[in-house]
Amino acid sequence: MTYAIETHGLVKRYGDKAALAGIDLAAPPGSVLGVLGPNGAGKTTAVRILATLVSPDGGRAAVGGHDVVKAPAEVRKLIGLTGQYASVDEKLTGRQNLVMIGRLLGMRRAEARGRAAALLAEFVLEDAADRAAGSYSGGMRRRLDLAVSLVGRPSIVFMDEPTTGLDPRARADLWRIVREQVASGATVLLTTQYLEEADQLADEIVLIDHGVVAARGTPRELKARAGDRRLEIRPEHDAEKAELILAEVTGQTPHRGENGLLSVPLLDSAVSPAVFRRLEEAGVSLAEHAVRRPTLDEAFLALTGTTTSGRTR
Amino acid sequence: MTAVPSTTGHRGALAQGMTLAWRSLVPLRNEPGRLVQFLLQPVFMVVVFVLMFGAMSGDTEHAARFLLPGVLVQVALISTNATGMNLAEDIVNGVFDRFRSMPIARSAPLVGRVTADALTTAVTIAVALLAGIAAGFRITASPLGTLAGLALLLLFTLALSWVSAWLGLKAKSVASMQGVATAVLLPLTFGSSAFIPPANLPGVLRWWSSVNPVSHLADAVRALLTGAPVGPHVWVTLAWAAAVTACFVPLAVRAYTRRIR
Repeated sequence: MTYAIETHGLVKRYGDKAALAGIDLAAPPGSVLGVLGPNGAGKTTAVRILATLVSPDGGRAAVGGHDVVKAPAEVRKLIGLTGQYASVDEKLTGRQNLVMIGRLLGMRRAEARGRAAALLAEFVLEDAADRAAGSYSGGMRRRLDLAVSLVGRPSIVFMDEPTTGLDPRARADLWRIVREQVASGATVLLTTQYLEEADQLADEIVLIDHGVVAARGTPRELKARAGDRRLEIRPEHDAEKAELILAEVTGQTPHRGENGLLSVPLLDSAVSPAVFRRLEEAGVSLAEHAVRRPTLDEAFLALTGTTTSGRTR
Repeated sequence: MTAVPSTTGHRGALAQGMTLAWRSLVPLRNEPGRLVQFLLQPVFMVVVFVLMFGAMSGDTEHAARFLLPGVLVQVALISTNATGMNLAEDIVNGVFDRFRSMPIARSAPLVGRVTADALTTAVTIAVALLAGIAAGFRITASPLGTLAGLALLLLFTLALSWVSAWLGLKAKSVASMQGVATAVLLPLTFGSSAFIPPANLPGVLRWWSSVNPVSHLADAVRALLTGAPVGPHVWVTLAWAAAVTACFVPLAVRAYTRRIR
């Protein structure tokens, strides 16, 4: 099988520090590969090598079947790159940014303008189209950056932390756009610090830390191993009655935490209203209740037995 | 993405360079405030150096004849600062990473930048010349001599803009680029015969002014605009421009292709 993105034993050193210490990645055409990891894990370095911006020190990488070192020009014809730091020209308007890229890719003026107008509409930037990109909000900037990377209709798109620092609404907008790209047949490599984002978008997730692959699998597989969401309640009284109801409704044995906190894995979202209804019927009032996702740290711990901040294995 | 045509040919590279030159100039249209600053500076230099310093000397007409060519050299060389600063800015904010990930000629971003800056420099020189004429400078050379003087100035400036490009590509930040460029440009322009004849300077300054290539440039431009005998200055200036270009175009291109963060 020919992968759209493929690396074998990828190594990159900066001084005596290894940013990548042998990474294997593989993304079939039309899939979304999520590369998940904390700051400094090596995600950006991997993207920069695949986008032909940096040469690897060891191993090999191919994009669309072309080796990134031997045939960078071929790779560049296939890819779109969205950086972690929005790399649009702040002194140009959104429209001018898009037209410039179209012209650079060899489009005629009318064609470049038409493509810019279509992307501005698709990315909900029409109102700000003729304002300098430097005046855009964080979310608008990321959307413009993504639009710019899609001008040439690339078949392979690299998105390096496209939603870091965005508010939930702007993040949801970007997720919608990523899904549309995939629906149109593009292969996407997405790096992220958020387990939830990888879960929402990726077909396969590779968890990397300190330049090595710590775990890989489908979101379902990784979540099963990392532990899914948990329903937490803290009854004000009748703790035993609450525990019985929780066990009965969820079919799980509740975990007793500190200060009377009870928690169970939440496998089905419909379960929590049922729990609250039964508790109310039984006259048990709650001091606190929450649905909590595992944090990236907890997921790391569960998946690798190490923490993100230091190796404990 | 089969729709993208081959872009490795020279026609492609040239068109891409022009697109990127457009990109460098269009902010002037977007924000007329930038335009005002960039047109006002040469006028201000003429007011200070030709009118005010000229008034100090008593003979304002003679002063204008001597000082205006110096101001032209000064504003032209200072304007090369923009090349490196804009390149450093593009590197720091990630615009260059985008260009480098695209199927375009490697040289296009550099060529576009230098072309745009040559155009703005030409406008700056023209504004300074018009302001100088308003301030009492008279071109006494033939039209051909005048054009030759302006062309020589532009050629030398272009050579220097590759030094600026190299500095900008090597710099860690926009501010450090600006610092280094100022440290290079101030002694080159002020420590030359642009404003004061070397014979009037003491010791080390006289020596520096006499070996400084900008002195040859200033003397050549002054002679060409006023129809005076040019002596060896034109050829020395051309030799310097050729040497600087031959050194710094390859250096800048290499710094550009190796610029890896």
